[in-house]
Parts: sequence; C-alpha cells; structure tokens
Amino acid sequence: MTYNSLPFVAFFACFAALYLVMPGIRLRQAVILLGSLAFYLFAGSPHALIMIAAVSAVVYAASRAIDRVYAGYESEKEGLTPKEAAALFAGYKKRGRKILVPALLLIAGSLVYVKTARLLGFTQVKSIPDLLSFRTYLVPLGISYYTFSSVGYLLDIYWKKAKCERNWLRLLLCMTFFPHIVQGPISRYDRLLKQLDRLPGFSYERVCFGLQRMLWGYFKKIAVADRIALFTSTVFADIESYAGMEILIAVMLCAVELYADFSGCMDIVLGAAQLMGITLEENFKQPFFSRSAAEFWRRWHITLGAWFKDYIYMPIAMSPRFMKTSVNLRKKHGNRAGQIFSAAVPLAVVWLLTGLWHGTGPDYIVWGCYWGVIIILGTILAPEFKKLAERLRIDTESFGWRLFQMTRTFALFCIGRMLTVTGSLTGFAALVHGLFRNPKLWVLFNGSLYKHGLNQKNFYVVLFGILLIWTADMLQARIRIRENLAAQPIVLRWLVYYAAVLLVLVFGKYGSAFNASDFIYGGF
Amino acid sequence: MREKVKQVLTENYPEIDFESSAELVDDGILDSLTMVGIISALSMEFGVVLPYEDIVPENFNSIDAMVELLEKFM
Repeated sequence: MTYNSLPFVAFFACFAALYLVMPGIRLRQAVILLGSLAFYLFAGSPHALIMIAAVSAVVYAASRAIDRVYAGYESEKEGLTPKEAAALFAGYKKRGRKILVPALLLIAGSLVYVKTARLLGFTQVKSIPDLLSFRTYLVPLGISYYTFSSVGYLLDIYWKKAKCERNWLRLLLCMTFFPHIVQGPISRYDRLLKQLDRLPGFSYERVCFGLQRMLWGYFKKIAVADRIALFTSTVFADIESYAGMEILIAVMLCAVELYADFSGCMDIVLGAAQLMGITLEENFKQPFFSRSAAEFWRRWHITLGAWFKDYIYMPIAMSPRFMKTSVNLRKKHGNRAGQIFSAAVPLAVVWLLTGLWHGTGPDYIVWGCYWGVIIILGTILAPEFKKLAERLRIDTESFGWRLFQMTRTFALFCIGRMLTVTGSLTGFAALVHGLFRNPKLWVLFNGSLYKHGLNQKNFYVVLFGILLIWTADMLQARIRIRENLAAQPIVLRWLVYYAAVLLVLVFGKYGSAFNASDFIYGGF
Repeated sequence: MREKVKQVLTENYPEIDFESSAELVDDGILDSLTMVGIISALSMEFGVVLPYEDIVPENFNSIDAMVELLEKFM
C-alpha cells in the first residue's frame, strides 16, 4: 500500500473522516495510533510490526532509565555554579552512557544487520518463527527512518535536550506515524510529542490546505515523475543502444524525476499530517536554485542533513579530544589550519555515512565520497575562490553568474545521480562512455527521441509539468501560494481546484497498462 | 570581556558582521561549520571547555549570548 495507490487513498479517506469527527485530544491520538498500526500492518507485515514494537520498547526503556538517573542530578545541582553543575552532570552522563550505549548498539545494530544481511546471502523472513532462525533477515518498513529518529531521540535525552516521554504508546505512535514512516521526513520525536498534546479540532482552512498539498504531491509523482520514469528506465536498461544526446537527456530527466518523486511524496506526507493539525519538518526548499553543493544539501533532504549535523558532525567536532587537536593546530599552524581540520574531518565522516545510509554497495560509497570531496574542497577553498572572483572582476551577484552557479550545481547533481542510477559502477562507466561515444545531436529533431517509452505528446506533458514545478518553486520562494489562493474569490478558487484535480486525473500515469512505481526513497 | 570576544570573532571571520543581527544562527549568518570554528577559537582564547549540552543556537545568536555562555564556565 504505497501513498500513490488506490488502497491508500481509500484508507486515508476513511481515516480522515473518522479523525476529523473525533472529539477530544485523547480520542484523536487513539485514532492516529490505530490508523498508523493498521497502515503498518497492510503496507509492511505482521513480523515487521513486531520488530518496530520491540525497537520502540527498547527506546522507551532506555530513555526512561536515563531519565531516572538524571533525576538525582536535578536535586543535587541546586545552589551550584554553572561550572560546578557541569562537572556534576559529567558524572551523571557517565552513568547514563552505560544505558545509552547498549541501547544504541541494539537499535543501530538492527539497521546495520538488515543492510548487510542481504549482502551475506541470508534469507528473508517469511513467517514469525523465521524471526528466531539463524541467517535470516527482515526489512521492516521505514527502518532507516525510524532508526535515525530513535537514535536522535535517545541522544537528545542523554544530552538533556529533550523531555523524556512517559507513555510507551505515545512513543510507538511517533515511530509508526503513518505519514512519515515510509520515507520520512526524519522527525524529531520530542517535537512530534509536543504537537500530540495539542491536536486541534476540525478547521476548514487547515483541511483544505492539507488536501491541496497532497494533490500537488500526487501531480508531481503521478503526472511528472512516473511519466519521466517510462523514458529513463527504457534508456538505462539498454545504454549501448542509445545515442549520447538521448543518454544526456535521460540523465537530466532522471535528476528531475528524483526531485518530483521525492518532493512529491513529501508534499503528500506533509499535507496528510497538516490535515491532522501536525506540522512535520520540511524536507525540500527549492534545491535546484542552490548556488553551491553545500547549499544544495541544506535544501535537499533537509532532515537527513540536519540529523547528520546534530548527531554526527557536531558531536565529533565538539568532542574534547577533537577540539584539543584543533586548538593545537591553530596554535602551531594558524587559524586557517584549525578551521580546515575542524571542517574536513567531521565532514568526511558524515559523507561516508551518508553514502552508506543510502546503500551498502560500492556505487553508494563512491557517491558519498564524491559529495564529500566536493563539499570539503568548496569549504576549505572558499577564500581562494572569493579572491579569484575578485581578481577576474566577476560580479558574483549578477543574474548571469547566479545562473551559472545554479547550472553547475545541477550538473554536479546529475553526475552524482549517474553514479547510482544504474545500480553499479560498471553501469556508471557505461553511461559515461555512452554520453561521448556517439552524440547524434539530430535525435532532437528527427523524432527518434519519442520512440523510447514516451511519445511526443507525453514529452510535452513532461515539459509542461517541469515548467509548472519550476514556477511553483519560484513563487514559493517569494509568496505563500495557498494563503494567496485562499484570499481569491470563491469562483476562481474552485476553478483552480477543479483544474488541479483534472490535471492529476488526465495526466496521471495509471491504469492496468501502467505499473505504478514505488517511491524511490521508500527503498532506503 | 565583550570586546575580547568580538576581537577573536572578527579575527577569525572578518567577512561576518557579528553585530548585524541578534539571531546570527537563526538568520543563517552562522552555519554549523562557522559555529565549530568559533567554539574552537573561543576555547583556545579563554581556556574553557564548553559542554555539548550548551552548544545550542540560542547561545550563539549574538556576541552577548556567547559572552554569557563563556562567563558561565570561566
């Protein structure tokens, strides 16, 4: 049951109807929990439900145990100076660590096990007794997402940056919350828990905004991403048979496909949560308008980047040993050396792990290194690039220069996508070879481009869809589209709504002849 | 103290106007890379170890917030 399937639409319609008539916060919470468990059961499996319930029990038990340890600190710190309190807390943290480390090993270990078991040739679990068998594995729905959120929650409790939840069912609700379980965003459970305490009643405007956003997401996914997939999957399945220009178009389109697919899913997810009165974290902020690779990754899959920043990058960079080395480098070799060291080392670790999070194959490891090298070099050479631009008298704020930077970022993204889209490094080599082997520029004009899964009419629909997404992104950066629409006269508003529904119904790729694609990021 | 902190900050990051905002982190003027550099420079200058629990945006949003944080641990 994927978000773009008819069963999900039916499920969500029933869920929303029930949820919106529920009086009181507790009943609304109960409906969300039951809805999420039902969704997990149908979209995943009963075995996976047992697994996620077990992980949530570990998270709950560990967080409560750490919280009980810290209760002693709260009573002892009265009357102490901040420095004395920090020293006292360091002792409590040591005790907390004895609970935290085994819990983290268990939770993160389950993700590592799932990611490596397939490589080791283990068999997939088919029944509940299989769970206890040797050399078997199970891929619970959303494991990469709930594992990261759970680890973040436990670390926040350990650092006293979040309040500990005292009700296991509420924590289970956060973990299984059906809008974010399949492909994120990677939520912060403490923020979600706070919102659960003030779930609002029915509001026409909120429900309307939520449904609008879902509709926009369906358009991106069904009309644009799935349509592009027909062309890209045809070309990438037999690279040798296509001209360089066709491969180039397929590469550029597959970058747009990923954006339409993933951000479309996020629109569905955030819209569904908004209908319930829950604001999930945004995962995209017009990434293709980024002027550098570092900026791109602050605007693409934002919650994954934020997770790595808060739980990997900063703890490494702030660890006493690392800080000491950085200070020594500053003393011996100057500020620049210290700055380079404190930027490069944690970034290298972050990008290696980001690659591994996406996949354990060599293509993803190379992909992680590729982005890591670009971002590290971009960071440490920033002063030199600035001087060079000044020497060449480049107006870095001119439209032309900004357009060049955005095009460069898009090109870098396309190269990164080429590394993983075929599923192997030999596939990447074939793509590079195919790009330059036989360019055949005339395929743009002689109609042969329209013979690879998408005819001319469908190509125009794709171009129209891309233009619409690009315009919406441009407008979104300047105005609040939905609020502006809500302020228009009722006739105009309903015309837009009908047009939007028609767009999805007319241009959506579905039906018995079309095999609806799963969301790309659902595979992680 | 405030002047000393400001001097350390501008020596390390001359391109940033630290007085331009009282929400340096929230406004995106300081990113995580710069924050790490600032913490490292301040730790060296004032000989303090800042606990990770206190590395939160609120403590780096302005020069005054950074001074307050340093004074807590000196």
